[in-house]
Amino acid sequence: MKIKQTFRVALASLKTNKLRSTLTILGIVIGITSIMIVMSVGNSAEKMILGEIGGMGPEIIVIRPGRQPKGPSDFAETLLSNSLTVRDIEALSKKSNVPFLADIAPSVIVPGGVSYGGETYQGMNFGWSAEMMADMFDIIPEEGQFFTEDDIKQKASVAVIGSKVKKELFGDSDAIGKNIKIKNRNFRVVATLEPKGQVSFFNVDEMILLPYSTAQSYLLGVDYYHEVIAMAETPELVEATVRDIEITLRESHSITDSSKDDFYIVTQEGMVEQITSIIGILTAFLSVVVAISLLVGGIGIMNIMFVSVTERTREIGLRKAIGATKKDILSQFLIEAVLLTGFGGFIGIVLGAILSFGASIGVGQALGSKMGFVFPWSAAAMGLAVSAFVGLVFGLVPAKKAANKDAIEALRYE
Amino acid sequence: MSLIEIKNLKKIYRIDDVETQALRGVSFNVAKGEFIAIIGPSGSGKSTLLHMLGFLDTPTEGDYLFEGKSIKDFSEEEQALVRNKKMGFVFQSFNLLPRNSVIDNVMLPLMYSDIPEKEWKKRGEDAIEAVGLSHRRDHLTAKLSGGEKQRTAIARALINNPEIIFADEPTGNLDTKTGDTIMEIFNDLNRNKKHTLILITHEQEVAQYADRIIQVRDGLIEYDINSKNGNGNGNGNVLKKKAQ
Repeated sequence: MKIKQTFRVALASLKTNKLRSTLTILGIVIGITSIMIVMSVGNSAEKMILGEIGGMGPEIIVIRPGRQPKGPSDFAETLLSNSLTVRDIEALSKKSNVPFLADIAPSVIVPGGVSYGGETYQGMNFGWSAEMMADMFDIIPEEGQFFTEDDIKQKASVAVIGSKVKKELFGDSDAIGKNIKIKNRNFRVVATLEPKGQVSFFNVDEMILLPYSTAQSYLLGVDYYHEVIAMAETPELVEATVRDIEITLRESHSITDSSKDDFYIVTQEGMVEQITSIIGILTAFLSVVVAISLLVGGIGIMNIMFVSVTERTREIGLRKAIGATKKDILSQFLIEAVLLTGFGGFIGIVLGAILSFGASIGVGQALGSKMGFVFPWSAAAMGLAVSAFVGLVFGLVPAKKAANKDAIEALRYE
Repeated sequence: MSLIEIKNLKKIYRIDDVETQALRGVSFNVAKGEFIAIIGPSGSGKSTLLHMLGFLDTPTEGDYLFEGKSIKDFSEEEQALVRNKKMGFVFQSFNLLPRNSVIDNVMLPLMYSDIPEKEWKKRGEDAIEAVGLSHRRDHLTAKLSGGEKQRTAIARALINNPEIIFADEPTGNLDTKTGDTIMEIFNDLNRNKKHTLILITHEQEVAQYADRIIQVRDGLIEYDINSKNGNGNGNGNVLKKKAQ
């Protein structure tokens, strides 16, 4: 039998039951659409997150107090943990301990808003070193001058503010030399930053940068740090430096068993690995859900194919009488099933592409950053292959039933 | 060589340990160009016989030689090929695809043949013309009258120019007048176009068109006579022996 003819017959038979065919492929459409969305959004999110991590710089090493977080509650522990103190900074700053360290500065986060006159702004109050920020974020003051190491030592009440903070509090008027209030304490604005947007996980424009020592003593009343940010001399030296930091900190904290570490270290490479594995797990989980939906869709196809085979029993008998072999009948119904699911898959791909494009715009807007749209070609190809495969698998049993029908009984079927 | 040769053909159906002997030993030959009517009451085994002759069923015992080759030597695919190329079937209930046009129905067997597609239309039109249905070529068969439906079915049986046409009660669903028209077509196919015909009927008037009448009763041949010679004394065994 000719393949072209068989396709025509299958297509005609699907057309005669338009409504039924449409409802039947719905399961497949939904399944393939989900594959598309999962893979597209997954890819885009991975790209976006990795891009942000990339902004952090490959030579940056972040030391956090507490244990490596394994769940949401562990993150809280990080903020409450007091294991990183000035002693650690001193130990780490020694060349003999960590030879390839280029720079190091602790940081703290101060919750709450900032106000000037009647205006209040909820920014990000960050106690850190201005010099290190300038170095890491590659940024210079738009106006004024950054506070210095001396200011940090003297716990000066000074602040550097981002462009958005400046605009919200001062509008177009001058900000330098003015006093802003954080937790009822006055800070003199010494510099404003040029608009820079998102760098790594910081939105520089929304930042209020204070000397970490000042923030520690006068705003938080603590003697520990939330984070210590270090820089290796080159990206190649990050690994060695991380090891040196670990050894130094364990020594300074008298830890002999590395599983009892009261700090953990984040590097760009490590984060990339972590994020990739998280997204991988998420994608795998969603894929299972999608696979289940495809299974359900496939069973729907099988059901309808059985109905179709029974309905067309006489036709099968006739075709056999006029010379169709088992193989002919089998391929006719198989092609019909594959056509059905393949068509469902095609619709799913188109729908999935449209929806994931919309999702990438929506998510991008919600996060206030650009989440690029990645057309998931691999998902599209996989979707088409999977849907055809579902047709083959779930069409096979009904098609076999059709092929094995006894011609005489089929002809007599009422 | 006879076109068809059957020897002591038996068919036993077994349903839930209950044996039914549909055919209990039937033998006869069919020469090329013959026009045979198989008659008998319902349940006599005539349908079973026709199905077996048409390669739609296999005998339990005995042998069936088609063009000198035993049915046992045909694989399933070869049987399908013979059905397609050398046999034509006409059924009581027409068995057309209702949502397809007359020509599409007629061309259906070509789908399973090796005839190139560009010849299909010509062949289809010729077959439709042979049964006088050219004016209905593109009509859906669901909308045809009974007689037109059966003519479509005959055209379909003719499309591959078969050696033999099997007709199972071809006038059973038609009124007498329409039935006559159909029988005239069969008559024409046999007399003028030299097609071999075997038809089943329980109507005496229909059987009269045939040259030879085989009466089946209770799974056996009751008589096998050459009706055109008016030699019908009912003694089938005697006549059969003479014929051999």
